Order: sequence, then C-alpha cells, then structure tokens
Amino acid sequence: MRKFFAVVKHEYKKVVYKWSFLIGTLLFPLLAAMFAVVPAIIFSLKGDATRIVVVDQSGKLESRLRENLSVERIAEKARQAARDSMKDISASQDERLKRGSEQLGGSFVFVDYNSREKPIELVLRELNGKIAENGIDAYLILPPDIDAPNAEFDFYSRKAGDFVTNSTLEDALNQAVRSQRFADANIDESKLRELSKNVNLNTSGISETGEAKDSDSTFIAAFIIGLMIYITLTIYGQAIMGAVVEEKETRIAEILFSSAKPFDLMFGKLVGVGLAGLTQLSIWVISAVVLIGVGMTQMDAMGIPISIPNITPLMIFYFFIFFLLGFFIYASIFALIGAMVTTVQEGGQFSFPPIMVLLVGFYFSFAVIRDPNSSLSFWVSIAPFFAPITMPVRILAEMPPFWQIALSVSINAVAIAILVWLASRVYRVGMLMYGKRATIPEVWKWIRQA
Amino acid sequence: MLIFLTNMNQENVTLRVENVTKRFGDFTAVEDLSFDVQAGRVFGFLGPNGAGKTTTIRMIVGITAPDAGSIELFGHKMSYDLQNRIGYLPEERGLYKKMKIVDQLRYFAELKGVPSAEADKRIDRWLDRMNLSEWKKKKTTDLSKGMQQKIQFISTVLHDPDLLILDEPFSGLDPINVEFMMDVIAEFKTREKTIIFSTHLMETAERLCSDILLINKSKKILSGSLRSVKAGYGENLIALRASGAEAVLNDKTLVEKIISHSDEQEIHLAQDVGDQTLLKRLIESGAVISKFEHIEPSLNDIFIAEISG
Repeated sequence: MRKFFAVVKHEYKKVVYKWSFLIGTLLFPLLAAMFAVVPAIIFSLKGDATRIVVVDQSGKLESRLRENLSVERIAEKARQAARDSMKDISASQDERLKRGSEQLGGSFVFVDYNSREKPIELVLRELNGKIAENGIDAYLILPPDIDAPNAEFDFYSRKAGDFVTNSTLEDALNQAVRSQRFADANIDESKLRELSKNVNLNTSGISETGEAKDSDSTFIAAFIIGLMIYITLTIYGQAIMGAVVEEKETRIAEILFSSAKPFDLMFGKLVGVGLAGLTQLSIWVISAVVLIGVGMTQMDAMGIPISIPNITPLMIFYFFIFFLLGFFIYASIFALIGAMVTTVQEGGQFSFPPIMVLLVGFYFSFAVIRDPNSSLSFWVSIAPFFAPITMPVRILAEMPPFWQIALSVSINAVAIAILVWLASRVYRVGMLMYGKRATIPEVWKWIRQA
Repeated sequence: MLIFLTNMNQENVTLRVENVTKRFGDFTAVEDLSFDVQAGRVFGFLGPNGAGKTTTIRMIVGITAPDAGSIELFGHKMSYDLQNRIGYLPEERGLYKKMKIVDQLRYFAELKGVPSAEADKRIDRWLDRMNLSEWKKKKTTDLSKGMQQKIQFISTVLHDPDLLILDEPFSGLDPINVEFMMDVIAEFKTREKTIIFSTHLMETAERLCSDILLINKSKKILSGSLRSVKAGYGENLIALRASGAEAVLNDKTLVEKIISHSDEQEIHLAQDVGDQTLLKRLIESGAVISKFEHIEPSLNDIFIAEISG
C-alpha cells in the first residue's frame, strides 16, 4: 500500500506541479468568461453619434421623430424593455443581448438641412455629396403622404451594417408614424396603449417533480458541463497515455517493475492523475460559483437581467462522481493503448476510437438536453462510455429518478472493473516489450495468458 | 533480523536458482537453469546477446515469474516484498525527461520503501560523492549522457540493497566513470553485499568477478569460481622468450603448436605434457631463457571457444 501511495503522490505531483496545469486551470474559466461576457461588452460599446438629416416631405413627422430619438426617451424605453425581459424568460439570449445593448447604443445628432422647394433628385444628390465629404452619416427621406399604403420611407446610411442604430431608428420612426396616424384619425394614443397592453404569459419549463426552471440557462449550463467533462476526459486520458508511453520508451518501466507490483503502478497512476483532474475540476467549480455570484450582483447593479440555472450541491456531487467514472473508464483505455504502442505518435492513432466514442457521447448530450425523459436519454445516460457525459447533463436538465442514477453508476463501475483488469494485464506485459508495436491478436494473447 | 538469521543458516547463499525455465510462446528463453550466488561475492553472469541473461535477471528481480523451477532469495521464495532488498540497474535504462533529478531519485527510493526524509539525506550524500550536487534541481534533459548514467546508478543503490544486479553497467560509460563505479562495487563487496554483474565484456568480467556463470542459447555452459573455471578449462599454454630452443620446440611429442608473436612465442603443449617437463628439457638443451610463463586462458578465449564450439 505504501508503494501504491508513493505512485499516487508521484503521478499527482507530476501533473499538478507543471505550468501547463496552471495555465489550463486558469484558461478554461477565462475562456468561459470570454464566451459569456465578451459579446455583451462588444455590443455595448457605444459608437459615435450618427449625424443625420431628416427630409420630411410630409412636414408632420420630424418633431415626433426627434423627440423619440432623444437620449431620455431611449433610456426610458430600455428600462421598460429590461422590466419586460425580467418576466419574459422565454426570450432568447440574443434578444436579451440586443435589448441590453440598445440601451447603451445608438444616439443621433440632427443636422439641419433646407430641402424646401428643391426637387427630390437635387436633394438626394446634395445629401449624397454631404455623405461623401463626411459632413453627415445618414439621411432619412419621409414620404409626403404617410398614410398611403405604399408610402416608402428611405434611409441611407454610411453605417448601414450598424443594426443597433438602425433598429433604434426604425423603432422611433415606427412610433412616430403610428402616433401621427392615430392623431390624424383622432384616436387617443395613451388610451389605446393601455387597452392593447400585452398579457403576462409566463413561460416556464415544468419538471416531472413539478418544479419550474429556466429552460434557457439550463441549456447553457448543461452544454458547458458536457463540454467540460468531454474536454477533461480527453486531456487526462491522453495525459495517462503519454505518461505510460514515456515510462515504456525510456525503459523506466523496467526499474519500476523491479520495485513494485505492476497493478499498483498502473492503478496508482490512474488514481494520481485522476486526483489531479479532480483538483482542476474543483478549482473550476469553485471559481464558477464565485464568478456567478459576483457576476449576478454586478449585473444586477448594472440593471442587466440575468438568470442562473438552479444547480444544487447534490448535482455538483453527482457531477464529480460521473467525472470520476468517466475518468477511470477512459484512463484505463488510454493506459492500455500506451502499453501497446512504442511512441506517443503511434498512441495518437490508437486513441482515435475512444475519443470518437467520447465525442458521440458529447453529441448525445444534446438529445438529452432537448428531452431528458425520452427513452434515448435513459439508455445513453446508463450506458457505459456515454453515461459519464450524458448523465450529468441529464441531471442538470432534469433530475432523473434515483434508481436510474444508481443503475448508471453501477453499470459504469462494472465497466471500470473490467477495463482496469484488462489494462493491467496488457500493462504488465506490454511495458516490457520494446521495439515494436503490439498487434491486437498479441494483446489478446497477453490478456488471456498473463 | 529474522531474515538475517536464516541467511546465516543458508551457508551464505544469497540467490538460489533451481531448474528455472521460461518460455515465450514456442521460444524457450531460459531452459532448466540452476545456479547459486554466494553472499559477498561478485558474480559474473556472462553470455552473448540473446542468450537469456536479461530474461533470467527479470525473473530474479520479480518482474516476471518462471514457468517452471524456483528462485530463492535470501533463503525465501522470491516475492514482491524481497524487491526492496535488490538494486537493479537494467541494461536499457532511462530517467523521466522533464523531472528534476532529486524528485525522480526520491520517487525511486520511495518505491523501494525508503521514507522520503531518509531518501533526501541519501540523495545528497550520493550526489556529493558523484560530484553532481549542483545538478540536483536540474532536469534530465540538462544533463550529459554520462551524468544521466551516474544518476541511474545512484537510483540503483539509494536503498542500500543487499543484492546488486548490474546489467551491462559500463556500456557507454567514459573511463573515469567506469573507475568510479568500480570503486562503488568494490565498496559494496567489502560490506558483504552480493553483486551480480551481467556483461558480454570479458575483460571487465575477468577483472571484477570472483565467480562466473556462462550461458548460451538459453542453457548453462559453465559455472564456478573464476579460478576453477580457468583451471578446468585446462589448456596448457606457455609464453616463451628464449634463444637456442628450436630443437626442443620441434619435438612433436612435447609441443603441439607454436604461435609466434613479435618478441615471444605462444607454446601449446602436447597432451599430458606438463610445463615443468618442457622447462627442464629447455634448460638441459642449453637454451637461454629470458621468459617462461604459464598462461591461463583468458575469459575471452574460454567464451569464444565455448560459444563458437
């Protein structure tokens, strides 16, 4: 046992006391944060004010439009939108992002231009000239008769791709035209608005246990969990393989085998590297909890509504359990491959199949997120090889009955026992076979004979 | 302590290999091999490449188990517990490339059951002795090949083993380091430790070993003390430098063959002729003798004769 722990300690330190571990540990939360935050930041960057000329051929709209585009009015609208979206949890993330950025986006500076008594062709030519010499950024042509069914509103802009500005303008214009039409028809606008208020339809997912949850953030959280397990299993599996091949390639195996039992050496390696993986995951989970906590208060303070999925400590516990199951399944496969081959490059070719299986499991997790209670979700979340990814995703999407989790854990534990047994047999023979890669029949012979 | 006492009762036999056979599929790597290694002696395990040396050593250190026969170490059947008392320097050996020297030495010592605090003390002592102290915190890739070999040697002796097994320890070593290692081996010998020394370099074996075992094609050819092996090999050779000896030397009843070297002759005596007989005849014939030396066959000669014969 003492030697086993010596191996565990050695393998753990070998992974953790390395720059790559530190960098990897820091990089993942950083990347995750980037994916979450950077787009919002980019969209919220305030562009230069758009200098605009309004050619109002109807003579009725310009003042309303100016009022609608005033800074106060835009801010008020944004606050209203934020209040709406708090209730409106079914809105997509994109929608929210847009709303959030609108409140900070587009502002307008009106440039006076005298279009009176000028034919429209001349106006267009003059304004195009102004744009060309950078006097203005955009101009808007309003038709003489706004009530006509084929009335055309033309907007020309140097920044036609700036959808935030454009949509702000469009909203303002729509509102101005609508108000004008109501006024023309003698309808009281405030009365109308009050009467045509939307109903509050709260859309929430209902789990089988009857608890409501936020479908959107759950999707993202489940995806992140699935991705995290997929990435860590791939990386740590390959790390195991690399370590095994190194000991074989450098012939250290010969010294190790003359000092300790092959099983202790191999299993100690799996446990040591597994603990290193667990360390990294713990750092991630803790930092995620802290980040989400800090982020929540921050965003709240800024008035940006966000929602977090409902993750309980039990879920996190299951998450670690299934990470460990997955780790031992894939690590023993990679250890077996490492003992078969002579170089890391050769191992790379052989590691393709297990990585494919892992990837399929990752893809299955999408099906699980969409419908956590389908029979497909049930089968892939108890199947060995897939369960380590799909079950945590399923647990997050919707907690399955306990017996299914227990079944999944048992099935995968049995799979681990078989794989570790196979790997240790291949390991004790393969590690001392130098010079050439073992063929599959040879490996089969080792397993039967060893 | 108990082990030590039983040791004494076993007439100081460190290792007893009895009728050991090892097969890999159809190939028999070691066939019915038996030998004893006495405590406190340097045992030369000789044979050409592919003779089965490494396979035998791997069974002795417990890496693989024999298909038949038994191996007893320090009076006990070989087991994992006994591995702590063996120091094994494999022929093909290496170090972790990107690990600090001190870390890997400590790991190897811990695997042999040395507590890490004690291991640290011994590492310092050995590194100092090998003039490698300043490399303690360096990685393997920073060290020269010779330094790496010294580190490997340190890893073999850190746990102060009772049985040291060195498989081709000098291959690729520069002469200074060879001397260094020879010193350590000599020191182990004076401390009544047993050394098994596998090589195909007969000059080195001749210089170091008190006993030898020669194997070829998985079978034992010769064994015993160096002296008895040489005596048993029994070829009668005389190195002679003399003038006026032609008449005697041409006597076919006395001399079978003469090989002339630059300034002396190698005389192969005829069957049943003693060297004293030849010396007497030479003196009687009035030849002027400046050198007359009975030469033993070198281990190299025995090796070549046995292996090719």
